Amino acid sequence: MSNNAIECNNLTHYYGKKLVYENLNIHVKEGSILGLLGKNGAGKTTTINILNGFLQPRSGECLIYGENTQHLTPKNKSRIGFLIEGHVQYAFMNIHQIEKFYSGFYEKWDNEPYWELMSKLKVTPTQKISTMSCGQRSQVALGLILAQDPDLLILDDFSMGLDPGYRRLFIDYLREYAKSKNKTIFTTSHIIQDMERLIDDVLIMDYNRVLTQRNVHEFMREFKQIALEVENHSIDLSDEDFVANFEKVNNKVEIYTYESASFVKNFLEKNGIVHHNFREVEMGLEDAFIGLTGKY
Amino acid sequence: MVYKEWIKTRWFVILYAVLGLSFIAYPFLNVQRDFKFSDANNYWYTIMFMGVSYFGSLKFVPVLGALAISVAQYFPETVSKRIKLTFHLPINENRVLLMMMLYGSICLVTCYIIQLAVFLGLSCIYFPSDIVMPAMTSVTPWFLAGFAAYYLAALIVLEPVWKYRMAYLLVTGTFVPLFFQSASTGAYEPVNLALAFLVIIISISLLFSGYRFRKGEM
Amino acid sequence: MVKLSRYFLVIIAIIGFGIALPKLYWVAFSHPIRAPFIQYSCVDHDFMLLRSQDGVSRTNSEGTTFTREEYENKLPLMYTRQLLMNNTMPDTIDGVEMDMHEISANRSTFRVRPREIDAPQPTLFPLFESQSGRANLEMPSDFFRIIWRMEFIDAESNKIDEEKSRMFSAVLYKRGFKFPAKSINGLPTTRKSCDEGYLIVDSEDQLFHLKMIKGEPFVKKVEIPDGLKFRWISCVDFKDKFYYAYLFSTDNEVYVLTQYDYMLVKLDVENINPEENEIRIYGDLFNYNIISTGEGEITSQVLNKDYKKVDEYKESWPVRDERSEGKVAQFIFPAQLKMRDSNSSFVRFFFEANKSFNWIILSLLLMLVQFFIIRKRKENIKNQLVDFAIIAATGIFGFIAVNFFPNKFFK
Repeated sequence: MSNNAIECNNLTHYYGKKLVYENLNIHVKEGSILGLLGKNGAGKTTTINILNGFLQPRSGECLIYGENTQHLTPKNKSRIGFLIEGHVQYAFMNIHQIEKFYSGFYEKWDNEPYWELMSKLKVTPTQKISTMSCGQRSQVALGLILAQDPDLLILDDFSMGLDPGYRRLFIDYLREYAKSKNKTIFTTSHIIQDMERLIDDVLIMDYNRVLTQRNVHEFMREFKQIALEVENHSIDLSDEDFVANFEKVNNKVEIYTYESASFVKNFLEKNGIVHHNFREVEMGLEDAFIGLTGKY
Repeated sequence: MVYKEWIKTRWFVILYAVLGLSFIAYPFLNVQRDFKFSDANNYWYTIMFMGVSYFGSLKFVPVLGALAISVAQYFPETVSKRIKLTFHLPINENRVLLMMMLYGSICLVTCYIIQLAVFLGLSCIYFPSDIVMPAMTSVTPWFLAGFAAYYLAALIVLEPVWKYRMAYLLVTGTFVPLFFQSASTGAYEPVNLALAFLVIIISISLLFSGYRFRKGEM
Repeated sequence: MVKLSRYFLVIIAIIGFGIALPKLYWVAFSHPIRAPFIQYSCVDHDFMLLRSQDGVSRTNSEGTTFTREEYENKLPLMYTRQLLMNNTMPDTIDGVEMDMHEISANRSTFRVRPREIDAPQPTLFPLFESQSGRANLEMPSDFFRIIWRMEFIDAESNKIDEEKSRMFSAVLYKRGFKFPAKSINGLPTTRKSCDEGYLIVDSEDQLFHLKMIKGEPFVKKVEIPDGLKFRWISCVDFKDKFYYAYLFSTDNEVYVLTQYDYMLVKLDVENINPEENEIRIYGDLFNYNIISTGEGEITSQVLNKDYKKVDEYKESWPVRDERSEGKVAQFIFPAQLKMRDSNSSFVRFFFEANKSFNWIILSLLLMLVQFFIIRKRKENIKNQLVDFAIIAATGIFGFIAVNFFPNKFFK
């Protein structure tokens, strides 16, 4: 039974009077990779800010390696690697200066992986980071994190602004790095196909609540999309217990559920709902995400 | 740590050190000219008995330098909230802020000491101590104001909420003019020590807005 | 440490607002009060008062009003030329024939204000050649100061003239001068009729007269009674050349020092303190009029030419604190701070405590307001107790300060 790298208990936060979420509980085991998915405004950045100690939650607490995130000790902070949304860095420095700057703070600093990545970058040695493209900057950020060799990586939207090539580079590096060295990763992202390749566990948030928090493969196995066509255009099954989400366009219906396909078929027959073309649709994580949270 | 601060501010500091010196030297060009045009004794007389000042143009030199350095140091931290990176480093956050403040203070002290030394030196060439000492007394509050401006500017730049930035600006507007009262040479003598004390205690001001930033004040 | 930084900021804000708010208040609401201009009529042997508050009025001490012409006729020694022009100048007054030369020779004005005394004093002075043979005085090429010796510094070279310094120092030493000088008093200007040097007080409160005659030092020790100390010495240059200076003692007395025989003559006046009040001394053919103007009070003491008091007049008016704008201020400000004061040339933290306790009402009100503010923010009252104490003690200044720097601290 490994320990929890991150543990959040009964996290509640409001923006002014607006509730962000209530009594949120998160556990991230050491050595696992958790992806936090949610629509814009569901509270992803809030959670990241609380985890980094940049936001005081209205109530509840978050612990990283047993320490409250609002009062992390320097020793603990050296074990945490942090990527800010948009790969924000001290862009007035160039890649040499920034490596020199950070290396002074971390005992375990190993600049080999950093320079390995930097050698792939086509930049001049004195080029300021502010003049680099989004993708190049993300490489610098990734390199710095690898050089720091943290036990826990908190990545806020690592894929923002990156084109597919860089995104793939990131994911492959990260997963390889994390698994080979038993690192823990907590990450959010907009681009869900990327998450699919990277994460072990998924936490999906919607406005005000957690929709699911479990191992991503289990989730993908159990969460299904059933597509069919109905005769009766006015049928609405959204209130049924087994229906997680119900989408209908004219007579084309999509039912999202944790139940088995046969269960659904039985239900339809029991209730006399005439249908054609009943089939279980294979979903990727993104389809599943949309299925769970709904289209807009 | 110092490295990053130096990179941010090095051009400003160097520029200010050089410019500052020329500003300090400039009044002495006038002094030299005045020595030639009036006779030396008449010139001394106007300074001692008619309230003429030979160094009035220095008034805002320390403050302007302090503001430039302060903004150069702290403004880049607020862009995209980059200071989060610094707070994330494995050092206590208050310690980090104090180190930044100390760096700036030392830069200012160095620049100011050079400027004051040059001022003192050049003054002593032309004038006796009876003129130079009151001049130093008069010039002291302007340098103290430089430190005050540096510390309060840091406080204001780091504050996350605009409403309070305005409030702090208002407080600054009531406090900094105290160093610039128009008064005869040597008039600040009774109060320089008290002003210095006040400036020292506000040196840690940036901790306050830094704290508010860390706690996610909006 | 962060909490400490907040309290320091609150202190700075209280100081800042403690200066700025009263300043704004007085800029908006203060009324100037002009003291009457007091002159003594040798015709009526009475005081003539010229008031320029809300229009000009001319009265005597009993309040009888006069027209401008009547008024001026009562003061022939003052308005001599006007009366001559009007042909109303009397030939004699009190049996003395009116001679224009005599009148003008005996006319003198003198003024000293507290902010000349509480001011940075020069320490370097020009010693003029008092018998140069030239009609006008010339600025010397060097300046002197008296520290552990007397030094002359040449302005052109900024160097000490050793020979001259030693010469003068030796003479001072011989006359019993105890270095350094406590004060050096004279008229350091070329715009006087002649140079009478300086009156210098040494470190043991002895008084010396110093001049330079044909390049040689002239030093005379002036005998003064034991224990007599002077607050302030003002050298004068009057046409009658009767005395060197007015000397104001620490016992609020006034003396003159006669020329040549150095007699210290006490004026028959009392309560003259130039450190607190503006002192003006007007001399004419018959009288001396010593006027002391303070906050809310003016006193005029008139002496005859033998310096004996012949008449006195006092008047007072409500001080700023007693007038309506002052009374309102007492409800608003627990105290007032300022950096400049009209009675001083120095910059200080001038602190004026509120004499009444009326401001406590506002403090209590503000504490109540603060209570509601805290309730609205849903914060713990117990954490804010120090803030309440601050508001109680510093009223509106503290109220603004504690709210400008929010007391929001997390566990």
